[in-house]
Amino acid sequence: MLAWRNLSRDPIRLLLSVAGVAVSIVLILLLVGYRSGIYAQASAYLDHAPGSALVAERGVADFFGTTSTLEPRVVEQVASLPGVAAAVPIVTQFVVFEEHGRKDGMFLVGYDPAKGGGPWRLAAGREPATDEEIVLDGVAAGQHGIGLGDRIRILDRDLAVVGLSEDTTFWSGSMAFARIGALETLLRAPGLRSFLLVTPTPGASLPSLTTAVSSLGADLVPKSTLIANDRRLLARVYDAPIGLMVAIAFVIGILVVGLVIYTSTVERRREYGALKAIGAGNRALYRVVATQALIAALLGAGSGAVLAVVGERALMAWRPQFRVEIDAATLVVVLASSLLMAAIASLVPARALAGLEPAEVLRS
Amino acid sequence: MTTTLAIRGVTKQFGHGATSVEAVRGVGLSVESGEVLLIMGPSGSGKSTLLSIMGALLRPTAGTVTLNGVAISQLPERDLPPVRLREFGFVFQDFNLLAALSALENVALVAELAGTARAEALRRAGELLTELGLAERVAFLPDQLSGGEKQRVAIARALINDPSVILADEPTANLDSSNGHEIMRTLRAVAKERGRSVVIVSHDQRIRDIADRVVWLEDGQLRDLMTMAVDPVCGMSVEHDRAVTLEQGGELRFFCSRGCRAEFLGELDGPAETRPARTGPLASLFQAVRPKTP
Ligand SMILES: Nc1ncnc2c1ncn2[C@@H]1O[C@H](COP(=O)(O)OP(=O)(O)OP(=O)(O)O)[C@@H](O)[C@H]1O
Ligand SMILES: [Mg+2]
Repeated sequence: MLAWRNLSRDPIRLLLSVAGVAVSIVLILLLVGYRSGIYAQASAYLDHAPGSALVAERGVADFFGTTSTLEPRVVEQVASLPGVAAAVPIVTQFVVFEEHGRKDGMFLVGYDPAKGGGPWRLAAGREPATDEEIVLDGVAAGQHGIGLGDRIRILDRDLAVVGLSEDTTFWSGSMAFARIGALETLLRAPGLRSFLLVTPTPGASLPSLTTAVSSLGADLVPKSTLIANDRRLLARVYDAPIGLMVAIAFVIGILVVGLVIYTSTVERRREYGALKAIGAGNRALYRVVATQALIAALLGAGSGAVLAVVGERALMAWRPQFRVEIDAATLVVVLASSLLMAAIASLVPARALAGLEPAEVLRS
Repeated sequence: MTTTLAIRGVTKQFGHGATSVEAVRGVGLSVESGEVLLIMGPSGSGKSTLLSIMGALLRPTAGTVTLNGVAISQLPERDLPPVRLREFGFVFQDFNLLAALSALENVALVAELAGTARAEALRRAGELLTELGLAERVAFLPDQLSGGEKQRVAIARALINDPSVILADEPTANLDSSNGHEIMRTLRAVAKERGRSVVIVSHDQRIRDIADRVVWLEDGQLRDLMTMAVDPVCGMSVEHDRAVTLEQGGELRFFCSRGCRAEFLGELDGPAETRPARTGPLASLFQAVRPKTP
């Protein structure tokens, strides 16, 4: 009762602490959401590509990070291995794409439109029908001012943009799709195949399939392993800075609540001293400040979460290449962290209260 | 059952070494239920310190405090809050009500601290405030109350847990004289009607008459009250041996200074010490026209 009254009789202070926590929670949620957005984007291609495992060059265990080259013999023989229902070849190559003075990373995927492995959702246009055609990521194309029917230059060849794909931006650029033949020409590597997207027959034994592929001199890697390895790669790049920013936001939240509760406690020092003289124990007084911090933190977390979800929508509408994903689990973690904020923020005021001498209230 | 708060040989020393202060020295006192004890003395004489020791807020450096035979000065720190909460009621000079709570909640909170359920605490607080004439003010915040009303809320707060002893430090210092008298009458009623012990610290001479017993503290020690007198002009307490005196109509008067005596006699007639003591109707006239004179 006292905690709530102390807060509500001082609305500016309450507002300040709630706003402080809200800002910190918004920051944390957007950062964490951005991180999971990056992760989701990083696995989007593999999530949508056919098959459940990939045949890759021996030793290659990630999809985006390393180039894989399969020997033609492997490509031929995997398709006829027992237990393989389908093996869809793709060629992948990371290139730097420059247009209108703007450089971007582009992850080129060569595929056979008849077999799969291409864009899974087109915002406009169609899939490439000839080796002179390409499908670009819609967002990246928009940023470069490229539309359907435009010609773009990749490496030393001109390609016509015939389609715009959706959901194909990722952490270091965007994806683009052309026919395998186009990549063979671009890269001057006829017969080049990077991966096979393998669909095993129902009931096929994966270990024996792995052994069989291995005996051909290549590796069969489950999609989940590739995705995990891509994430690990990403984590090396992103987790430290994002973690640091989250930590800073967290500390800001603690500082704001802590400062507000601390000043209000110091201001009411005499009142608390009188309460002690009357017989309130330290525990009862801790409860008052901790409850104040808790109310502020929870209100802050609640409004912060709402703001973050609104902000997430706004950010993605404004900059579609940023994918921010705030899921229920993140919300729960953040709610818990706001409780932690409250607990830490009430430590200093609690100490101040513990040091209060009850007899002090009689001294003027 | 009658309760007794007794202190024996109580000494309180603040600090160590050269800068140490002995605020209370070897004081012995006791107060019975239904009794109003007034502790008087000059500023810095150790009154508040003594009151804190009596109310288990401060631990004496030496000596014991016993409440109904229990040596509360020997209790470990963690056992003290419940003693303060249930056995003592404190009334402060500057009220110290919680600014964020209404009068009713200020009183009820203390009952809740003692484990009373919210509804019951509010009900009892309401009753108590009504008895103290504050029925109309229960929902007011302290800021909306007058000084006298605030102090009555504080008295209700001190009474809510049915303590055996009420301790008040300068309860009227921030009040005008009519409110001060009202508070003193209330405190006396608490002692007489509820059978509590009431200990009041004050240097307000106006309230001497409500006390059953007055003790004088000076330099941390109790002095024989018989040797103390009140200057009729400035109201200060003065020791007989150090006072400037005036024999008047067979009555001996004591003043803190020649100035006060001169003022008492009136400056018209020149320096006071050269004049013979006034007697008769003129002297009583002087008394009648002086508002400060009791
Ligand atoms: N916590 C403390 N630390 C150091 N010295 C103290 C402390 N409390 C009181 N004193 C000293 O003890 C002496 C008595 O103080 P106390 O407050 O008891 O006097 P008092 O009679 O209540 O005075 P007043 O009438 O001005 O309220 C003073 O000299 C004071 O400076
Ligand atoms: Mg004092």
